[in-house]
Amino acid sequence: MTMKLQPVQIATGSNDRESRLVFEDGMLVAVLVQLSSEHDSEAGHWFLEAGFGRVENVHAPIFADLDEAQAWIGRQLSEPRSFG
Amino acid sequence: MSSHSSIPLADSSNPLVRKLEGFGPLTEEERAVLRRISANGHVIGPRVDLIREGDAPDGVILIMEGIACRQKHRANGARQITAYLVPGDACDLDVALLTQMDHTITTLSACRVVRIPIDVVKRIMDEHPAIARSLRMGTLVDEATLREWLVNVGCRSAIERIAHLFCELLVRLQVVGFASENSYEFPVTQLDLADTVGLSNVHVNRSLQEVRRQGVIELKGRTLKILDRQRLKSIAEFNSKYLHLGTRAAA
Repeated sequence: MTMKLQPVQIATGSNDRESRLVFEDGMLVAVLVQLSSEHDSEAGHWFLEAGFGRVENVHAPIFADLDEAQAWIGRQLSEPRSFG
Repeated sequence: MSSHSSIPLADSSNPLVRKLEGFGPLTEEERAVLRRISANGHVIGPRVDLIREGDAPDGVILIMEGIACRQKHRANGARQITAYLVPGDACDLDVALLTQMDHTITTLSACRVVRIPIDVVKRIMDEHPAIARSLRMGTLVDEATLREWLVNVGCRSAIERIAHLFCELLVRLQVVGFASENSYEFPVTQLDLADTVGLSNVHVNRSLQEVRRQGVIELKGRTLKILDRQRLKSIAEFNSKYLHLGTRAAA
């Protein structure tokens, strides 16, 4: 499993711009956005803006850093798909 | 004042009277009945379940101060808030027909809560047709509001959902005397708001920042001030018809 991150700027309609496209074996699996100072205590943390396939999760946690985000995405990809 | 008067008189202090009187004229005797059944009650802190999904119904829960909600939980901890109960609002009148609750009712802020025994509700429905009619109107409006919230989560963008909720609350709180022309106490946390409109906390925060940036609202502490009501209504495509307020729909 090889995960690659590609820096990108996203027009989220807010000050959250700094982002990463997350590729797994060459396929886009997630989009992470770094939270701006508008998010107070969570500023600088990473938000799962979009997850595809197994990574889709509207209740994903906020990640303290990119390592934590990648570990979480890795777990989603490796765990059996749950519908509950 | 004549005890037989059917002229709607503003009863500034009792939200139940204000709400029901809005659906149709009540006599002073009927107003007195409503004041009596809504008297006292208990002050209950925020985040307290008043009744849980699966519980046997225990009277009609009436909110007289504060904001409570109806909510459903998933096994994974996720939840959806499906209604706000503001002062004057009660849970389902016919709840006694059910053997168990299909949702949980929880306080969002500190609330003054009255539990009206089922037999009292039944007697009032039998003896006071005007009150019964207004209570049934209230039930229809609850259903209409739920439909509007379903449209909200299904068909509106993040900012539109929040704008719609803010417009609705202004009207509902004005009816019961808990909002001024353009502001009200909004004691709901951002996480509660997220679970109300079916968005992540991040999307709620972004949307709130955006409407603030546009000068549409101002949130200071727990006071929500609507600076540009026309703009907020236009963002939400808000039309208060579903609240069936007749001539009171000023907002």
